Amino acid sequence: MNRRRISLSELVLLAVLAVVSGFVYWALVQAWIALQIAMGPFGDLAQHVLIGGWMVAAPLALYIVRRPGVGIVVELAAALVEVVFLASPVGPMLLVVGLVQGAGAELAFTLTRYRRYDWGVFVASGALAGLASTALGIVRFGWLTQDWFVWRLGLQVASGILLCGVAAKLIGDALARTGVLDNTPLGRARRQATPNPVPVA
Amino acid sequence: MNRLGRALPHDSLLHRRNPTVKLAVFFVVSVLLLVPVDPWTPLALLVVAVPAVLAAGRIPWQTLGAAALLFGPFACSLLAVNAVTRDGPVVAEVLGLEVTGTGVAIGAALALRTVLVGILAVAFSLTTDGARLMTSLHQHARLGARPTFAVLAGYRVLEDLPERWMTIRQAQSVRDPRRRAGTLPRDPGSLTRAAFTLLVVALRQGERMAIAMETRGLGSGPRTVHRPVALDRRDAVFAAVVLGVCALVVLASWHVGVLRTWDTV
Amino acid sequence: MIEVRGLGVSFPGSSSPVLRDVDLDVAPGEQVLVLAGSGAGKSTLLRVLAGIVPQVVDAQVTGHVLVAGLDATTTPTADLATKVGTLTQDPADQLCLPTVLDEVAFALENRGVDPALIGPAVERTLAAVGAAHLAHRRTAELSGGEGQRIALAAALVADPRVLLLDEPTALLDPAAARAVAAAVRAAAGADRSTVMVEHRLDELGRLPARVLVLGPDGRVRSDGATQEVLHDDSRTLAQLGTWLPLSAELSAAGVGALGQLPVAPGSPSRSGPRVLRARGLTVRRGSRTVLDGVDLDVHAGRVTAVVGLNGSGKSTLLLALAGLLTAAGTVSGGSVGLVFQHPEHQFLARTVRDEITWGPRRARATDVDDRVAGALDAYRLTGLEDRDPFRLSGGQQRRLSLAAMAVCGHDVLLADEPTFGQDRRTSAASADSLRRLADEGRGVVLVTHDLRLVGEVADDVLVLRGGQVLAHGPVDAVLADDGLLARAGLPLPPVLAAWRTTDHRLRDVLRALHAAADRATSVPA
Repeated sequence: MNRRRISLSELVLLAVLAVVSGFVYWALVQAWIALQIAMGPFGDLAQHVLIGGWMVAAPLALYIVRRPGVGIVVELAAALVEVVFLASPVGPMLLVVGLVQGAGAELAFTLTRYRRYDWGVFVASGALAGLASTALGIVRFGWLTQDWFVWRLGLQVASGILLCGVAAKLIGDALARTGVLDNTPLGRARRQATPNPVPVA
Repeated sequence: MNRLGRALPHDSLLHRRNPTVKLAVFFVVSVLLLVPVDPWTPLALLVVAVPAVLAAGRIPWQTLGAAALLFGPFACSLLAVNAVTRDGPVVAEVLGLEVTGTGVAIGAALALRTVLVGILAVAFSLTTDGARLMTSLHQHARLGARPTFAVLAGYRVLEDLPERWMTIRQAQSVRDPRRRAGTLPRDPGSLTRAAFTLLVVALRQGERMAIAMETRGLGSGPRTVHRPVALDRRDAVFAAVVLGVCALVVLASWHVGVLRTWDTV
Repeated sequence: MIEVRGLGVSFPGSSSPVLRDVDLDVAPGEQVLVLAGSGAGKSTLLRVLAGIVPQVVDAQVTGHVLVAGLDATTTPTADLATKVGTLTQDPADQLCLPTVLDEVAFALENRGVDPALIGPAVERTLAAVGAAHLAHRRTAELSGGEGQRIALAAALVADPRVLLLDEPTALLDPAAARAVAAAVRAAAGADRSTVMVEHRLDELGRLPARVLVLGPDGRVRSDGATQEVLHDDSRTLAQLGTWLPLSAELSAAGVGALGQLPVAPGSPSRSGPRVLRARGLTVRRGSRTVLDGVDLDVHAGRVTAVVGLNGSGKSTLLLALAGLLTAAGTVSGGSVGLVFQHPEHQFLARTVRDEITWGPRRARATDVDDRVAGALDAYRLTGLEDRDPFRLSGGQQRRLSLAAMAVCGHDVLLADEPTFGQDRRTSAASADSLRRLADEGRGVVLVTHDLRLVGEVADDVLVLRGGQVLAHGPVDAVLADDGLLARAGLPLPPVLAAWRTTDHRLRDVLRALHAAADRATSVPA
């Protein structure tokens, strides 16, 4: 497998993914606050609808860089960026959130030994990220002893599958088409799959 | 409102503390705060923390207040949702939902915890330079040179993002012949396309920055730091005082008998 | 210092190599200028010398490349960096740290230099590039020209034996370009070898003594003393589409002076009805007034050029005319399209065809297919229909962004720096497209630093300084006014200075020069 030291380009790529997703999350939160106010007492549930978007960097990073650990690293970096540079009100607890969610998303790729990047793995990755995120909510906010737990679980897993797993593959494929990933493992894998230089529509 | 990792431009006790120590102390306090789920313990800590950070960071109360408004809605919805979704003696009925005493107590606890952590987060970011924190993590927390500078390159990308985001949205909106002058589209499709372009442009910038850093020799061997971040005994005193006060407050609330955890709620 | 033998480079997914059989020897202290058309591998050559290709950017490389005694194709980039400094086009790609001091100190820290020695070295280097006053600034707040000088300082601080310069002035306004070019000249030490790719030769001041010309096939076309190559091979060079100094351009056209060129007077542009009217446009950003009471009428069939230094409010004026930002004052008239400076910011689709189709389809036009087919043809994009827009070359992207806006049929077309960072051929194509759009009966407003482009396409010129209108008039009158140009901070390109000695309209002269060069290059070299 991939035994060479991770390159600086790959590290910066992870940082950029973390930064841009942090920035877009931040934009999401603006939408989320409005949604939360609109939903009144159900506002707390609103966060579950968007939770997948908070975790999409992990499977996307794994898809692009294809080495163990980068799913966790990119989520930790995203958390660091939000705490240090975007003044997230969640504070350093976000590092734990990033670690747990990244680990959840990464598990699907670990189980397939970082060799499979098909839809099934991405769906599993998103679902596991949603599960991990729910587990953390149990510890932080006592969700298990609340009504609506099944709703929370269902929404988190569904959002994880769509906005995290499926979205990561869609974004990764679209990015690869643009050429910015040509010097990454994803770009190389796509070149090997289609040695013909004519791009596929 | 967003200062993107830059501290308020004045000097203060909090400004002078080592950023890694500040982050670590903040982290420990956040973990500690996961334990109490009664409203009194976080309230007592909040009463201590607000004047402390205002004084030690010389933060204008208006600035702190404005920031608090950002996480206010989240705290309110935590209170509301817990009030109506927990088992216990029913104290009221609102819109057909049963409000329980336990629910109100836990909701208030979680809401106050959110406000407290939010206040500390604001105080932290208003007194900490993000780039100095990264240097300090490199010096004092054994964060490798390459990850450190990768994050700093990411920070440079971040600094350009707000302006790029605006430019891209303007540039894309003008492509629509039926657009309304004076407004930028906010529909999910338009925002997604703008975010995608932003990502492409940022990734390309990142790739070139990585090359620039390599052509200046990053990773060629042991390196020195030309403006090191200070770490001294005052930082240890700071950590001891903050953690000591928190421990005392929690102990006091246990002693008085108001402390509740998830097991005793 | 540099020894290249039989260098060949090909990138994966591309059918032909970008460099073939390149030999290059550069002695210590020698300076070499590399000239080539777009896509002919000049940047690739520098990236090989810097150890980036093939180590960071995937490519197949053959041949031998020794730089300061190290094999550049296998020595890790960071290790090679102890001998080689690099400066590229865009400060945003090179300034990686938040403050100027950290940025310049970075290369020394990476070599493990004693921290006590770093401060003085940083100060010395900043002074050497004329940037001592920037020491305490944040990198994000620097202008383009300031940023390039800091990036140069960051490359020079470790005293490299070899300096590689990849179009360091391409993205700057003329005044900033001259300042950076002066800093680059000062940086070329007695024992430092320099390899430079640059096409803004007018701003360079003194040219390096030696020129290497790469052909479109990636082979060395000529290599020798600058004056000889520029004049003996001027036709070849003109054919490659590179910018040339005026004297070389004249010799390519087969004349000794601009006055000797046969000039046929063209017909003046027809002025149609007014299509856009702006009065008292004022834009404030914080406490600063970026645009201050600008009036402008745009007429169908006419091209108005807006000129001025960076920060004079040119781009803001276009945004205000297009209704993209809040401005005081009034704008009334027909529909407005705006082509932004960076084509990539404007792309919305995943194929070239969808990109052009986008506007007409949103407008529910009935003849979408015809319009798109016409635009593909007119902007020479046929054969690229299924490409991702981001995968196009810079020139192709530029044509695509113009095509995608032109098919929408706006009454007014605004263009921000349509020739920025382009070679002569691509610039000429953009200029022609804009002129054609005006001749079709649209009103065109373009913002540019390039006074030659102004002379080629514009009918009127609006000169801005500090957000205010300094002058507004016919192109020949404005460009003949030395005092005015000096107040606007715009240096006169040599070709315009030469034009003043003739009795013809500026556009006719520039067209004649163009045509003569084209005639010369249509003969096989």
